[in-house]
Amino acid sequence: MSKSVGRNAGVLTIVMLGILIVGQGHSSLYATAITVGLYALLGVPLGLIYGCGGVLSLAQAAFAAIGGYASALLFSHYHLPPEATLLPAIIVPALFAYVVSRPILRLPEMSMALATLALGLLVEVVFSSSGGLTGGYEGVTGLPPIPIVGNSRVGVLLLVWSAVIICVYCYDAFRTSARGRALIAIHVDRLLAESVGIPVARELSLLFAITAGISGFVGWLYAHYLGYIGPGSLNVHLSANLLFMVVVGGRKYSLGPVLGAAFFVFAGDWLPGSAQAHGMVFGALIVLVLLLVPEGLLSLVQSRFRWKRVASRPIPQSSQLSPEQSL
Amino acid sequence: MKIAARDLAVRFGGITALDGVDFELNRGEIVGLIGPNGAGKTTLFNCITGVVAPNAGSVVVDGADISNHRFDLRVHLGISRTFQTPRVNAHGTVLEAVMLGFNPIVKKPLFGSFFGSRSVRKAEADMESRAHNLISELGITTDPTKRAGDLSLGALRLVEVARALAAGPHYLLLDEPAAGIDENDQGVLANVIRKAAKDGIGVLIVEHNVPFVADLCGRLIALVQGRIAASGEPSGVLSDPHFVRAYLGDSNAG
Repeated sequence: MSKSVGRNAGVLTIVMLGILIVGQGHSSLYATAITVGLYALLGVPLGLIYGCGGVLSLAQAAFAAIGGYASALLFSHYHLPPEATLLPAIIVPALFAYVVSRPILRLPEMSMALATLALGLLVEVVFSSSGGLTGGYEGVTGLPPIPIVGNSRVGVLLLVWSAVIICVYCYDAFRTSARGRALIAIHVDRLLAESVGIPVARELSLLFAITAGISGFVGWLYAHYLGYIGPGSLNVHLSANLLFMVVVGGRKYSLGPVLGAAFFVFAGDWLPGSAQAHGMVFGALIVLVLLLVPEGLLSLVQSRFRWKRVASRPIPQSSQLSPEQSL
Repeated sequence: MKIAARDLAVRFGGITALDGVDFELNRGEIVGLIGPNGAGKTTLFNCITGVVAPNAGSVVVDGADISNHRFDLRVHLGISRTFQTPRVNAHGTVLEAVMLGFNPIVKKPLFGSFFGSRSVRKAEADMESRAHNLISELGITTDPTKRAGDLSLGALRLVEVARALAAGPHYLLLDEPAAGIDENDQGVLANVIRKAAKDGIGVLIVEHNVPFVADLCGRLIALVQGRIAASGEPSGVLSDPHFVRAYLGDSNAG
């Protein structure tokens, strides 16, 4: 089991190198790959807490916005360089998430989604209506580029994708650890988790805060990559789209959200019509995926490897089993 | 060293589930808790494990009052339990289900878990072999790589007992462990329980299968309508007229 931990991260490293080589001839590929990487960096942690832990969050983009704004405001008000604002950009959303998570994570999945949706909307409203403090609807412009890599597209690409690769590796390592088993147990049955001594509320809050911290890092990357952040950049729409990527790609696989992000970005580029029209197509698509491959697109690939061992047999409820049924 | 509950009372709305129950469980003894449906067996059980908070009375474990301890903290004090309807991750393997039981005694460093540190990987391999040992020690013949969702109810109950024992408890509380399982599995289960008691673990069994507990337990407690109707040696309790009337009805037709 532990030998395969690095496999997905390895696959992704090869993909990144492939993009670097192919992108030499097609310069627009770099920009697309950076967008995919940023979405994946938000999606992989969401995939972990949603796919393994059942935490349905529609606030991930809001946490990214908090991180991005933290950095932007520290720059515009106190002239702090991005090097100095990196830590606050991660810690502020993480702390915020930790504090608000206690009441939210106690709710059932659907109510949790609504509560985090409200949270996301609230954050958006605060940033857009705080006037001079946050730049209101216009946001903050003229932010300095990301340190070290600067304005180099290849540099940004390497940075973002390295972060995605690390996230994927951590996801796989975590899931096969005792803590990962604890998270899955929480999802399966909270009473079961508590019976083996797992402090459910604390564990979920902690993981939620970590995903918020990573989101904050994405916000920081985003703000300094584009040199701009506004209330519309990392909004509730993006949070919903992230959930789309996670579900379509495969919420139970570390690479699922990455595949979902790539699918989302490329489909958005190729589909004709406006973004509103795309929303319709994506909506229809998510229904199709949930009906046909509920475990996501990646399950099509994975099941080819494991087809014989785990035939897609329905799981019998334990209470319905008779003693004779030993198979 | 014992669990001692004093004067426990639990009310759900207007219903009195437990009404002034005193209860003791010493390490190394096997106690059966019997009674008709709705007598308060599971409520007493849940009070001790912390799923239900009592309205009055106290639960003391090894001298420490734990009446207000959260459920997840009690396993750290050496109280392990199983459930009436087995609770497992149906998609996980038998081995993983048992390994979950090691949770209270294994170190789970946050960063080590995310980055697959050497100590975490070593602890993981350690746990895996200990889980294998535990499964074979208990005489469980189920293939550890099997999916838990594919198991029979009897095998599932045994896996739950193994998971409860993995934490190295001082007290093991079993909620209807013999319900709905065949005689072969019941035999394995009885052996597991006897072995646990011999190792110094106090075992409490809530059970409808009276012959099973009568054979296994040194002491029986009969609950009727939230009160203790009879307690003591199995033969004495089962012939106690007060209990027999409550359990089998006045006509004794059953």
